[in-house]
Amino acid sequence: MAASTACFTYRTVGVVPRLFAARSRCQIPSVPLSGSSRTDLWRRNCSSGREDRTAHFGFETVSEEEKAKKVYRVFENVAQRYDVMNDAMSLGVHRLWKDSLLRVMNPAPGMQLLDTAGGTGDISFRFLEFVRWQEAGRARRAARSLQTVSWQQIADVYRSRPTGDGARAVVCDINKEMLKVGKQRADDLGYHTGLSWVVGDAEELPFEDDSFDVYSIAFGIRNVTHIEQALQEAHRVLKPGGRFLCLEFSRISNPILSRLYDAYSFQLIPVLGEVIAGDWKSYQYLVESIRRFPDQEEFKALIEDAGFYKVQFQNLTAGVVAIHSGFKL
Amino acid sequence: MLPNRSSNSVKRVFHRAALLRLQDESKQEQPSSSSYHQHYQASSSSGQETSQTNISYADQSGEQGEDYETEEQLQGRILTAALEFVPQHGWTVDAIAEGAQTRGLSAAAAGMFSNGAGDLVLHFISQCNSRLSESMAEQHKQIQLGQAEPKKTDEFLREAVEARLRMLIPYIENWPQAMSILLLPQNIPDSLKHLSTLVDDIWYYAGDRSTDLNWYTRRATLTGIYNTTELVMVQDSSPDFQDTWAFLDNRIRDVMNMANTAKQVQSTGEAVVQGIMGAAITLKNLTGMNQRR
Repeated sequence: MAASTACFTYRTVGVVPRLFAARSRCQIPSVPLSGSSRTDLWRRNCSSGREDRTAHFGFETVSEEEKAKKVYRVFENVAQRYDVMNDAMSLGVHRLWKDSLLRVMNPAPGMQLLDTAGGTGDISFRFLEFVRWQEAGRARRAARSLQTVSWQQIADVYRSRPTGDGARAVVCDINKEMLKVGKQRADDLGYHTGLSWVVGDAEELPFEDDSFDVYSIAFGIRNVTHIEQALQEAHRVLKPGGRFLCLEFSRISNPILSRLYDAYSFQLIPVLGEVIAGDWKSYQYLVESIRRFPDQEEFKALIEDAGFYKVQFQNLTAGVVAIHSGFKL
Repeated sequence: MLPNRSSNSVKRVFHRAALLRLQDESKQEQPSSSSYHQHYQASSSSGQETSQTNISYADQSGEQGEDYETEEQLQGRILTAALEFVPQHGWTVDAIAEGAQTRGLSAAAAGMFSNGAGDLVLHFISQCNSRLSESMAEQHKQIQLGQAEPKKTDEFLREAVEARLRMLIPYIENWPQAMSILLLPQNIPDSLKHLSTLVDDIWYYAGDRSTDLNWYTRRATLTGIYNTTELVMVQDSSPDFQDTWAFLDNRIRDVMNMANTAKQVQSTGEAVVQGIMGAAITLKNLTGMNQRR
């Protein structure tokens, strides 16, 4: 997979580019590095081995183990106020984004969903709602088509709460705090059947091969240390014909909007974080990690590298958010 | 299925070939070209895979070996499998999901079709049209070889339209839904294209080689006949659609007679005009306006 690191061109925001060494050993980069200082940095990284492999944490550079720990701590801190902050930062638009993701997914009864980095369960709840609504629609149509229907039959059709006919959503997250909040929400909202909560690392999923119809990861993949590994795990656990869906912040191409968005992100969001959740640094990390994530086309190339076909993306809100979709064929 | 799952190397080769094709298409500058170079070197370094890589890259039409197929072929197979679920589910993505499941893929694969039911209907129509073309070509060959008698135009048209409409019979219950799907704005260009190629094929095999205005008028009339007969068919409840074929007979006879009646109308018109002129001159004579004093 040397080519994938070569394809991954670094777009920086006025910061000295750090080398993002993937899990494969250092290779001779085919992109010529300009400046001898960077070549020295690269050579030093190459020779020192595992402990010195770095990842980006926002605009900082940390070692890989540290990144995982720091991300864990960030989400541990924000878990309790996660949903409130989402509404405040996006002015409620994140609900529309998640609804769009579900519409693209178009679940059918009987589908198995793996909601990775599912945390508080937004996607899974919507999935179950969608599937149950479809089940109810089908039951109604079936009842209408019966020639002579007794009142008893009609009452049965409408009374029986459809279980989704085997549709199941598994919420997987590395962070136990987020899952706790999610379980609490599920109880409050009344989702008792069809949900499972699993602690797991997106880079090493605790599931068997070929076990899910849809793998979705909403606003989680930029927190993963090794994105390619997460994509390969996604490819592994999906059934043949299964769909990979990723909802993630991305790049705005329009320069004016982009500048407005930057101003909003860097000036307002950490302040909101401090005021509402009492945590400036976590939200600083959030905004920085968005800037570090590859843009739409590069991420599409990464998904194709992992072995997915018919990879497409669509921008929502002018590119603030993008839905990437791929199929395991 | 796409690559044979048991052989990973084969899968990687196709994957690389797909990447080669994609990278070739995308207009990226240096990083992409250098990584393409790396791909090529990596693939050529592994001995036995080289020839397969080159073949896969060259034959993008789908002849990539028994284990490979393109995405379009896979989509075609899923849609063909989905047709048997149409009577139950209608022309919807549910039918496509069921079709995907019979092919061993998850129901989520129905998401591949961005146009949903439209893709299914258009696939069915193009399948029907190619079947009709094949059978007409077969008949034509028989006539060329002298094994069959050439048919008259109206008989040929009648049989071709009937054969094409008979292909709808298994799905006639849901056909109105399909017709409405074809009328959606995003599907109109494709459905018109299919209809025009159908009509063109039928007239070509009927022996039409005209190069004047007749070309257009003939195709226009046949399009009219085909569409109206289709509409009659979806409302027909007679045994084996006899009313439909009777309607078709009448329409074709009208078209055939039209050519004769056109000439008759013209000569009648001329006669009428001359009669009126004669009456006008007689009137003028009677009133004395023609006399010169």
